[in-house]
Amino acid sequence: MAPVFGDSATGVPSGLAGPPSGSVLKRLGGGALLLGTATIVMFVVASAVGPFNIPISHTASTLLDLIGIGESTAEPTEQAIIQSIRLPRVFMAFLVGAALGISGGIMQGLFRNSMADPGIIGVSSGGATGAVIAIASGASAVSTLFLPLFAFVGSGIAMAVVFLIASVGGRFSMATLLLGGIAVGSFLGAITTAIIVLTDDLYVQRQIIFWIAGGVDTARWESVRIAAPIIVAGGLISVFVARDLNLLLVSEDEARSLGVRVTLVRNTLLVSASLITGAAVAFSGIIAFVGLIVPHVVRLVVGADHRVLLPLSALAGGLFLLIADTAARIVLSPAELRVGILTALIGAPFFIYLLVRNRSRASML
Amino acid sequence: MTSMTSSGTAKPEPASVHDLDRALLRVENLSVVLGGAMVLDSVSLSLERGVVLGVVGANGSGKTTLLRAIAGLLDAGGTATFGSGRSVDAASGGSELRVLSHGERARMLAYMPQQAESHPFTVFEAVLMGRYPHLGRFALEGTRDRALAWEAMERTAITEFADRKLNTLSGGERQRVVLARVLVQQADLLLMDEPTASLDLRHQILTMDLVREEARKRNAGVIVVMHDLSLAARSCDRLVLLDGGRKVADGSPWEVLTPENLRTAFGVEGLVEPDPVTGRPHVLLLGSANSGRGEMVGTGRTVHLICGAGSGRELMHQARVAGYTVTAGVLGTGDSDREAAERLGLRYVSAPPFSAITDEQHSQHLALIGAADHVVLCPMAVGMNNVRNVEAALAAESLLVIEPGGTNTPEGGATVADFTGGRAIKLRRELVERAGQVPESAVLFELARLGG
Repeated sequence: MAPVFGDSATGVPSGLAGPPSGSVLKRLGGGALLLGTATIVMFVVASAVGPFNIPISHTASTLLDLIGIGESTAEPTEQAIIQSIRLPRVFMAFLVGAALGISGGIMQGLFRNSMADPGIIGVSSGGATGAVIAIASGASAVSTLFLPLFAFVGSGIAMAVVFLIASVGGRFSMATLLLGGIAVGSFLGAITTAIIVLTDDLYVQRQIIFWIAGGVDTARWESVRIAAPIIVAGGLISVFVARDLNLLLVSEDEARSLGVRVTLVRNTLLVSASLITGAAVAFSGIIAFVGLIVPHVVRLVVGADHRVLLPLSALAGGLFLLIADTAARIVLSPAELRVGILTALIGAPFFIYLLVRNRSRASML
Repeated sequence: MTSMTSSGTAKPEPASVHDLDRALLRVENLSVVLGGAMVLDSVSLSLERGVVLGVVGANGSGKTTLLRAIAGLLDAGGTATFGSGRSVDAASGGSELRVLSHGERARMLAYMPQQAESHPFTVFEAVLMGRYPHLGRFALEGTRDRALAWEAMERTAITEFADRKLNTLSGGERQRVVLARVLVQQADLLLMDEPTASLDLRHQILTMDLVREEARKRNAGVIVVMHDLSLAARSCDRLVLLDGGRKVADGSPWEVLTPENLRTAFGVEGLVEPDPVTGRPHVLLLGSANSGRGEMVGTGRTVHLICGAGSGRELMHQARVAGYTVTAGVLGTGDSDREAAERLGLRYVSAPPFSAITDEQHSQHLALIGAADHVVLCPMAVGMNNVRNVEAALAAESLLVIEPGGTNTPEGGATVADFTGGRAIKLRRELVERAGQVPESAVLFELARLGG
């Protein structure tokens, strides 16, 4: 290797003697250990607190009992509350937070913009419209599963329409996808508002506003069992193509010349991020800012490699929503604040803080 | 994610491949239509291992399109055959490289785009991405991959930025990051689109030296798009000149970089002379044929050329660009210098073909010489028909005699062809004694000096 740029010609010593340490596995492992530990602690805390407080020791022993370690020391009532009310809610909060965190990370990578959020291509608006139709038509009263079903179908239709708009003329365009998502989102928002305004029934109106505010308090094991496979599968698929997403973020031409199947990877990521978001919205309504802030902060800490960023965004998102949901239970106790309101209340100022602090690099990825 | 690590895939040793078939790439009739316009028009070329091929041409001549078509990033008609491998005809609508699997193609060729990229990855991460084609689906970069990346970063002098994010670097630094990634890819064919575009002079030279070294040591083939013609001549074994999507010249830098080609493909007047260090062609730009005629060196001065058979053609163009009023004589009908003079609208004395210069023509010629500030005697062949042209030069007050020898070769020729039994040579020697001799490439400098 004869011609070396930084050779004696300038006498500039290079800053490092060898390749930097901190491989993907190290960063992923370190982050996962930290966030995982915090999540386990929060699982116990979140199962213990609420209008009916259960001692931490009782909660911990009950949770250990459930995974086959030791015997629960809690009262039967406490056990029942933990098992059928708190735990499904805790799981759902974690799942929804993880879903929003990872799909936010995917969208920010795909759109090369840290302002992208999981609902950027109209998925959230579609879900809201579906849910509002379910409530207003009375379908949600027939079966508790109709509301999430309608919302999920709404998300799917919105995503498909935006995809079609972006593919018109045979040439897929990310810019059209973004603008199409905004347009479809506004259109669906108008429909949602129209339904709220035109509904005479005050109770229905209240229900709709309550749903839109976003929360996981209604979660039951049944809903966890439906949402979990979609979110976990979508998340795993995304992590498997995270390396390709890295190259896609560098440049489409270079990704292609380095052997990435650009169209396949992009579509896989768009569809899985949308499915994940759709599932989260269907069971929790619109929870603002999690999908925007979590990947943003994780990126500041661990860097932009999506093989690390996506899994850790999922963990951090889950943990964040778990904390937020627990806080939402406590702050107005015995009443509850909707967690979607709380995330926006905390998230917006924090985001502004980040914007001001990192003014130079805040605009684009 | 699985945690299987890869130690990287070893490339075949150069020695085992280059003897069998040195042709690395054969492109035949490659055509690209973009937005209804023919951007690339039946371009054919071949590339051997170990060769650096420069692609030059004006903006919009199809250089980038050619590179992208070969890289398989565009729909192209025609064929591109890699090595002695399979070939695909135009009917399939794609080049051969497109039908290779993504992974195969990425291991065979590396593509460096024109635009320096900007993204939030660190320099080390960005370079390491060049190992992608060598890694299995769930493999992570291993020690060897990281060592290779580090070595490439040392070669491009970016190790001091290893932990910096790319979007905090300057354009030139980012370009070196992409160069390191291309090196780390260890492909047989490197396609580079203006790799020196945003580099300072030193890094331009070092980058091209690295590129040449890749070709020599790893026996890779390189196709590099360049704008700096002198740098291209210095760094490339061969040049291809594109004009309007067509290949108009293909050969050694001396063959491709002629004043004629500069004029037709770039619309500029230029001198091509041997670089005093490398002996390779060095292009000195004089200006554009239609650049503003403000205060030029030659403004208000007249130069008369005594020439014939193409010996004065280049100088006519160049002197005009420098602002001189140019006259010429005596030129026979059908002579290429006469055609050039006619095209440029010069005043000149003409004569019928294959006949001796008459007294009348001679006196007209002397009148033009008398009116000129400077007279230049070109190294044309002299016979009985035009020997009076050389005689006329005796009347010149300010005379320059051009050394015989081609314009575009470094080695000068001996003498002018003489078909007058020694009379022309004698006359010429007399003139040289009076005025001295200058190489053709120095004529404009001399004229400027004489003009004060």
